[in-house]
Amino acid sequence: MGSGFQLSRVPFSGTNGVIFVQYRSSMSEEKRVLVAMSGGVDSSVAAALLHEAGHDLVGVTLHLWDAEGEQRVGRCCAPEDRDDARRTCEHLGIPHYVLDEREAFRSHVIDPFVSDYQAGRTPIPCVTCNRTVKLTYLAEVARRFDANHVATGHYARLERASDGQLRLLRGRDADKDQSYFLFGLPQSTLDRLLFPLGQLTKSEVRTAGRRLGVPNADKLESQELCFVPDGRVGDFINRQGTPTRSGHLVDSGGTVLGHHDGVATFTRGQRRGLGLGGGGARYVLRIVPERAEVVVGDDSQLYDHQLTATDAHWVTGRPAGTFQGEVRIRYRHRGALGHVTPTLEGFEVRFDEPQRAITPGQAAVVYRGDEVIGGGFIA
Amino acid sequence: MIYLDHHAAVPTPDAVRHAMEEAAAAAWANPSSTHAAGRASRRLLEVARQDIASSIGAAAADVVLTGGGTEACNLGIRGLAAGRHRVVTSQVEHPAVAQSLRRLGSEGREVIALSVIEGQPPSANELASHLGPTTLVAIQWVNHETGTVFPVHEYAQACRAHQARLFVDATQALGKVPVDVGVLEADAIAIAAQKIGGPAGAGACWVRRGVDLEPVLEGGSQERGRRPGTPDTLSMVGFGAACRLTRERLAGQTRVTELRDRLEARLCKLGGVVNGGAHRTGTVSNLSFRGWDGPLLVAALDLEGICVATGAACSSGLQEPSAVIRAMYPHEQWRAGSAVRISLGIETTAGDIETASFAFQRVLARAGPENLN
Repeated sequence: MGSGFQLSRVPFSGTNGVIFVQYRSSMSEEKRVLVAMSGGVDSSVAAALLHEAGHDLVGVTLHLWDAEGEQRVGRCCAPEDRDDARRTCEHLGIPHYVLDEREAFRSHVIDPFVSDYQAGRTPIPCVTCNRTVKLTYLAEVARRFDANHVATGHYARLERASDGQLRLLRGRDADKDQSYFLFGLPQSTLDRLLFPLGQLTKSEVRTAGRRLGVPNADKLESQELCFVPDGRVGDFINRQGTPTRSGHLVDSGGTVLGHHDGVATFTRGQRRGLGLGGGGARYVLRIVPERAEVVVGDDSQLYDHQLTATDAHWVTGRPAGTFQGEVRIRYRHRGALGHVTPTLEGFEVRFDEPQRAITPGQAAVVYRGDEVIGGGFIA
Repeated sequence: MIYLDHHAAVPTPDAVRHAMEEAAAAAWANPSSTHAAGRASRRLLEVARQDIASSIGAAAADVVLTGGGTEACNLGIRGLAAGRHRVVTSQVEHPAVAQSLRRLGSEGREVIALSVIEGQPPSANELASHLGPTTLVAIQWVNHETGTVFPVHEYAQACRAHQARLFVDATQALGKVPVDVGVLEADAIAIAAQKIGGPAGAGACWVRRGVDLEPVLEGGSQERGRRPGTPDTLSMVGFGAACRLTRERLAGQTRVTELRDRLEARLCKLGGVVNGGAHRTGTVSNLSFRGWDGPLLVAALDLEGICVATGAACSSGLQEPSAVIRAMYPHEQWRAGSAVRISLGIETTAGDIETASFAFQRVLARAGPENLN
């Protein structure tokens, strides 16, 4: 069996009312579940909730990148994070393994990240990481561990449609929703995934963590990229061996206004750090890497009605024709209505209202209500 | 749970546990103290030293007690290095030796690491071509990952002929092959309790009488000035008790080898490729499996209740591809990443081998045609 989607009740004594944790088959049939443990609160609570519900769990931490320097909070793959993941697993009494994926992470995530920035784009590595390294690999690891599912601490939901396909939905907590990062996953991977936090808010997660005695329930979290915990992307790019070319800041007419140390430190719509004194506020309009030029202008010049996305993935298959959808052009974007037209390799969006700073390299993710229809990368 | 990681640690025999329990009650005092309580500790410590010495055919006075095998290796190597300009070793040493030698290298000594291609140790002649009166040879007896046996007796003859000094890392040899310092004629050897059923954190460095051993640590004059710090009487009692069982361990080697051969034959049928060459102890099978990452296979087997390892254990929980296998098979890089070490002891039963074989069969069948990464 296991084809029907169903919800199991997990009554929480410490929270208001009843919270639903999602399963795809009844518990008696549930075999082993692999839990991806980053060492953070979310994955720890995801593990604790599944453990409470009686699953046979295996904790896995992927070592993706060696932390650099002395960074205070949230160093990527730092020994402290591994220790936190292990402590949580010890607390739950489940086995924990660390698997080394540094090579794949470097070649599939870091190298393209660096070359994207050098090409004047602003990449979104988490999408690529989920699709090509993290979740796809863990799905394979689950198979090797004889586990049915991979559970993660993502704030997103999955639902089995009547045609048997899985639909990817926003997490209930609108602030924490991470469905944006997951649009690239194939059905074969989605089929293995469980998102125990999809129905919860962040504060409910912390409450559950404290109730279940999760050792790091109050741990601070970084909003930065996991491998650039200090947020200084330009420095990171330069540390990777190929400093980007210095060049000029120019206006749209080509007049030189100033000098910059490399295009990799700029992103479209950026205002700070241009080093241009006097006059009104100016923003990065576009980057011309072949001339090492950063074109700046007024805020009003940042608005566009349309975008083109490439390398698209449609969660349940490519829609037949133009349809109306809500499109998010970056993770913190609320979404804007527009008409979406799938093309052979990507899609075009015509927004109802012009959108500010549509940025090449970021993901454009198309929603209909709570459902992720698909996504691609802004050209 | 089936325990097949004896090269990492051997389960504590009852005799060892009982001896340590008794010592915990009777020998809490500082063995350097002159009063009655101190003497009680001292007496147990010296009995242990005698047992440790007897297990390697040594006199008790020549045994320096240390806090484990790594310290014993550091002490032996650094202690013998004074006045030596060149160090000769192999490419497959345990980190306790390899890192000690790296340090000597960074201090200006010439370090020559001989290759062990396909598990073939350097011959005594090859070794001899690098020897001179200011040479130190630091080399293992039995490889920790593959069980490859090095001809250390022949090395000792070559060293004597060239007035070179010889340190032998015997941590994996004790209890697997007969160790007798009288026959070996090295200048120093290191052994560790954990590899024969004693506690971790107890080791010993035997030094030939008349050879000056400079201490690594600074401190008091314990161990005749060669190892400062209060000896851990409790652990040493455990070490001594484990040493008393050495003969029993050696006598069990034929049966252990039979079990190992049986398991190895089955795993080869399941696609395993044996690492470590022709001359290995019968306690270990190191195999590479295509399409697997070693740590992933170890974890999958652990979930089936089978304890094996990829190689040298690592405290961080993160395992690099085996440097030993990489050095032995430089042209077959896949071997290092996919190697697992299955190591047996006299505690291992035929039933364990049956169960382990079936677990391997179940787990290996899960690898699809596509490889990871």
